[in-house]
Order: sequence, then C-alpha cells, then structure tokens
Amino acid sequence: MTTAARPPLGRSLLRLFTVQGSWNYERMQGIGMGVAEQPLIRDLEGNGTAYRAAVARAAHFFNAHPYLCGLAVGATARAEHDGVPPQQVERLRTALCGPLGALGDRLVWAGWLPLTSGLALIGVALGLGLWAIFGFLIVYNIGHVALRWWALRAGWAYGGQVATALREPVLQRAATLSAPAMALVAGVALPLVVHYLTGGFLSWTRAVLAVVAAGGFVLLRWQRARLTGLRFGLVLLALAALIGWFWR
Amino acid sequence: MSPPAVLQVMLLVWGTLVGLDLVSVPQAMIARPIVAGPIAGAILGDVATGLQLGVLFELFQYDILPVGAVRYPEYGPATIAAVSAAHAGAGTLGFGLGAVVGLITAMAGGASLQVIRRLNTRAVHRAAAALETGEPRVLARLHIAGILRDAARAAVVTALGLALAQLARDYLVGTVSSRGRVLLSVAAVGVALAAGTAGTLRLVGRGPGLRWFAAGLVGGAAVVWLR
Repeated sequence: MTTAARPPLGRSLLRLFTVQGSWNYERMQGIGMGVAEQPLIRDLEGNGTAYRAAVARAAHFFNAHPYLCGLAVGATARAEHDGVPPQQVERLRTALCGPLGALGDRLVWAGWLPLTSGLALIGVALGLGLWAIFGFLIVYNIGHVALRWWALRAGWAYGGQVATALREPVLQRAATLSAPAMALVAGVALPLVVHYLTGGFLSWTRAVLAVVAAGGFVLLRWQRARLTGLRFGLVLLALAALIGWFWR
Repeated sequence: MSPPAVLQVMLLVWGTLVGLDLVSVPQAMIARPIVAGPIAGAILGDVATGLQLGVLFELFQYDILPVGAVRYPEYGPATIAAVSAAHAGAGTLGFGLGAVVGLITAMAGGASLQVIRRLNTRAVHRAAAALETGEPRVLARLHIAGILRDAARAAVVTALGLALAQLARDYLVGTVSSRGRVLLSVAAVGVALAAGTAGTLRLVGRGPGLRWFAAGLVGGAAVVWLR
C-alpha cells in the first residue's frame, strides 16, 4: 500500500474539466479519465510495471456524467494505492458507470441546469438583461464546481467503498428537491418568456403565432421519436419563406 | 450592413470558446444560447438582439437531453451566427432571419460533432497497442489532439455560421418582403415555444413534477398579468 500523504486532487480536478476532450465511440470518456487519474497514481511510478498497468486501466472504457467522473477517478486511484487486484479495479469502474450516469443526469441535466437556466430566462424576461446571464453563470458554476470537487474527494476518501458516498443524505436530498424546483421554475418562466418574445408582434400575427406554437407542441409530443425541434423549425421556416415569397 | 472585421474575429473567437465548452472544456455552460447570444450581442453593441435570440434558442435547447452518445444539434455557435444575422434586421423582424441562419448552423454543428467523435475513435483505435502499455505520453497526446480537433471544429462551425449570416445580410434582407419577414419571425418564435414546452414537459414528466409545473405556470401568468 502506498497511499499518498497529500494527494494532488487539485491537479486531477483541473484535468477533470477536460474529461470529455477526447470523447470517442470506442472508450467514450476513457482517455480523459486516464489523463485525470494520472496525477493521483504518479507516486506509483517507483514500481514501473504497476504504474504503467494502472495508467492503462485508467484509460479503459468509461462513460458517466462528466461532473461525477471524479468519483470514479478518486475511487480507482485510491484502490490502486491500496493494492486492490486489477480485476477488482476494473469491476469497480464498470460498476460505477451506470449509477454515476443516472445520478448526474437526474441531478444536473434534468435538475440544476434547467433550474438555473429557467431562472436566467425569468431574469431576462423581467428586464435584468446581462445581469441575469452573469447571475446564471455564477450560480450554475458554484454548483458545478462544488459537485466535481465533492465527487473527486469522496472517491478518494471512500476508495473501493465508494457506493457509500452515493448514499450521502445531502446528495439524496438534492436529487429529490431538484426535480420539483426545476418544474416550478420552468412553469414560472414559460408565460414570462411567451410575453417577452411576443411583445413585438401585432394582433393578427399573435393569433398565427398561437396556432403555430400550439400545433407545433402537439406535433412534437405526438411524433416525439421522429420529429425534433430543429427539424420542425427548418421545415416551418422554409414554408414561411415560400409563402412570404409569393405573398408580397 | 456587415460588422467590422475586428468584430467578426471577436465573434469567431467567442464561437470557438462556446463550441469547446459544449463537450470538451470546461462545460461551464457558456455554450448555452442564453449566454452565447447576449455576449455576441454585446460584442456587436446590440445586447437586446442577443438577449432575444438567446432566449429563442434556449427554448430549442430545452428539446435536448445530452446523455451518453446521443446526437444533438449545437445551438451555441448557432446562436452567435443568428445574432450576427439578425443584427442587420429590424427588431423583432430580425428574429426570422436569425433563426434561419441559426438552425442551419445548429444542424451543421451537430453533424460536425459526429465527425470529431469518429476521428477521435480512429486515433484511439490506431494507438490501442500503445495505450495498453500504459505510456502516459500517448494518453496525453491523444487527449490534447482531441481537444485541439474540437477547437478547430468549433471555429469552422462558427465561421460557417458567420458566413451564412453575411449571405443572409447581403441577399435576404433586401429581397424578402416585410410580410415574408413577419412570417419567418412568427414561425421561428412559434416553433421555439413549441419545442421549449415539449422539451420541458419531457423533463418534468407526469409525476408530482407536473403539479409543480402547473403551479409555476399560474404564478408566471400572474406576474405577466400584474406587469
């Protein structure tokens, strides 16, 4: 066992900000994970073979939520230091993919991000202008950086027992609260955004707009698997351009 | 009227940073249209247009949940290109023009992400043997090359968007009738509202979240009415 007295978690954290930089279909985040884990296992360098083998393992296939990758980086680096057998380290990485992906999607992509961007939309609609944007960036990233830092530290602290970290009450409460908070903020934002975006339209165009928005919503819900906002937008804009061409 | 070259370069740099932020470095959400648009507007001295198009494309962004290897359009550089195009249009009427340029750029951005992922896969595949030896320099080289590839991709997508914006300014502003521009704007805002609402409801689901969403709708409507 060669556990570092003061592991270079800061250096690893900085590298974790680039974890998806070499995202590919073969190893997904694997290469980025290896790069981020390297500072934490560098002191195994004395044992050349063990170090090289640990680096190679760190770069194997991995896919999870990018903000929570630190948990796996910390845990596997700690396991390498603790002399856990290679097969067990590999199993630990594989076992973490699903839970970290699901938790991150729920906590960030479906919670914190739409919640804070919804607040930014409300701010813009209420006339806060650029302050709403700066506020969004600051608030969102406080949560973002805190989550990355917590994940890395927890991974390193728990090592092979990292599943315990995922059951921490704060994390569970955040996951439970983020969904209703996001839904409430999105609900408040919607009428304000409608008012903000349609302010410059005249009465008859507002009626057409209402029909387009309502019809589009129904169509996008109905044809969810095939139709995206982008495709629908392109088709409708082409149609509008065509009508506008003839109707001068 | 085209923005001066120095502003175009600033937009290109901003678009490259925005494109890099989406997946590679550091995912601080400057890639969100609500951020990319207003800053592009500020660069052009037209924050209002930047904010409006930022809100418009943020609604399109709600249509996307970026999980795993899912394919999605890239709305960050697209919003910058849209702001550049709409800057020449007149107020709300610029919406449609911006949306046309923005949606085409978003589609190109999404396709370019797939190309980069395939190029990265090829590079990793070629270095597979070296990677299995655990050589740290190979790992670093692959990773840095991936980031540089993504930066180049983001720059190309932004440049394409800005070129489209230039074409729209030169050829569409004068030729599309005022009715045509109104129709384009109505279509853009209508689709954005539809996509934003559909995407939000997908996130909210049918459970208790729907009740919170409904409560929020009532609250938001009350605020609009009181204003």
